[in-house]
Amino acid sequence: MEETDTYHIRPNHQDKFKPAVVKECVREIVRERLSGLRYDPEEVPELSRSLADCIKDKVKSAGFDRYKLVVQVVIGEQRGQGVTMSSRCFWDADTDSYAEDVFMNVSLIRCDEGEADFSITRLTVFFFPPIGQLVLQGVSIRKLLLLRMRARRMGKSSR
Amino acid sequence: MTGMEEFHNGSEGAFNSEEADNIVKECIESVVGGDDYSQSQVNKWTASIVERCLTQLVKSWKPYKYIVTCAVMQKTGAGLHTANSCYWDTAMDGSCTVRWENRTMNCVVSVFAVAIA
Repeated sequence: MEETDTYHIRPNHQDKFKPAVVKECVREIVRERLSGLRYDPEEVPELSRSLADCIKDKVKSAGFDRYKLVVQVVIGEQRGQGVTMSSRCFWDADTDSYAEDVFMNVSLIRCDEGEADFSITRLTVFFFPPIGQLVLQGVSIRKLLLLRMRARRMGKSSR
Repeated sequence: MTGMEEFHNGSEGAFNSEEADNIVKECIESVVGGDDYSQSQVNKWTASIVERCLTQLVKSWKPYKYIVTCAVMQKTGAGLHTANSCYWDTAMDGSCTVRWENRTMNCVVSVFAVAIA
């Protein structure tokens, strides 16, 4: 019988996500696509979408099989305003992780006119675990619920 | 067994983004509802919004893993765009993005939910 992946509940060490590798992928794409660009409100929606797709495809081909990916790209125009971004995750810290890259560019084309355009791009790629491992987690939640039910029932009958 | 049935009732299939939308809006309102942008407070606000959202989402005991991101930006007429690209199970997983603003700031919160089993 052929061995299938579904019996692997955790990734092997060599199959685990590698944030450093992904960060490098992301950095390469961003430098290539955004260097020298200026913020243009007409083009940025399309640019951010295509950047996210591009990064997702590149990371897919990096060989992290059986991982789900979420890529988020944020592009902002800097006009001296303050921007703060934060994130939190509820996941399995052993198998899941993220990689991010922040890119800022300064367009020098119109510096003499006293204008400078900046773009800040924050790319975050999150990894999720393989399917087999997810099933195990589902079972643990069910067991926890059953234990709670049993504890309640026992508590009532002991009176 | 009743315990098992109760667990299965929750997972009707896809991620309920409307419910998440309401949860997020409520959390944002409760943290920055009447305030003006303040450089010294903004870190605290973003952390607070994100933690609250996550706590509320997890409380529903649904079999999902969550990622919540929040960006708060001062209003100066500058533009901001976010884009997401996901490789997941389109039947079970989902996301929701909420844009909120007041007189002095913009807030964008994204929630991604990935199903477990």
